[in-house]
Amino acid sequence: MTGSVHHTIYRSEDVPLGCIPPPEELEDTLHGLMKLNGLIIRSLEEIAGRGANAVTYRAGRKFGHEVAKYFRKIENIEEALVELSHILRGQYTFELWKPADKPSFIIEENGATFIYLVFHDCIVRQTLRRNGQEQGGPLCQTLYGYVVGAIEEITGRRAKLEIVHTGPNGCLKKLILK
Amino acid sequence: MIEITVDKDACNACGLCVKDCPMHVYELKDGVAVPVRVENCMGCLSCHEICPTQALEHRGIYPSKRHYIDIRVCEMLNRVI
Repeated sequence: MTGSVHHTIYRSEDVPLGCIPPPEELEDTLHGLMKLNGLIIRSLEEIAGRGANAVTYRAGRKFGHEVAKYFRKIENIEEALVELSHILRGQYTFELWKPADKPSFIIEENGATFIYLVFHDCIVRQTLRRNGQEQGGPLCQTLYGYVVGAIEEITGRRAKLEIVHTGPNGCLKKLILK
Repeated sequence: MIEITVDKDACNACGLCVKDCPMHVYELKDGVAVPVRVENCMGCLSCHEICPTQALEHRGIYPSKRHYIDIRVCEMLNRVI
């Protein structure tokens, strides 16, 4: 603590303007949060078992509704997903994806209608890898809830997200439309 | 446009990339992994992680952010390498 700190006058409205920490300082906070989140999820799994998925899914869904409620309502699902990808930029970056032999992003197979999504940047994946935890567990369910909640909010349609594959640089998810 | 290169000398034809890829991008041909459906690659890089001989190389993929890697460690490594 330096003497000048005590003599500086801060008005309550000035404080956020002064919040420009260097990246190294932010990194410590980020890593602390990632560590904490990883431990919370691990403990939740130990105590609640499979129930952990329900808790994280619900948390994610609330988060999705919360974030997406400020955005315009869109009926077109493809357009809504593009919009959502912009909303989530910085937390989750994803894009619509299709195998080369499919003519459109909306795929109909065995009576189900779905869209493949590839998630690139993902705070969940980063947290799991920071802690050496397996991908596809309860923390990934937050993402499932997040997308479902946001899609419900933007389009008014019910949906389900299925994890098809998890990788170090991207994860493939299937958004099943109801 | 994604491009995949397999180092034929390094590949030991273990077939792990063939099994792990969800889009069946690879096939084993004449004792080496061959990317036969590159257009279906979504750039997850699971094959990189699973390949025991690091025989694979991807070009044109989106590199995801990896904030979990410490800035100071990266700086130190950059100075050393």
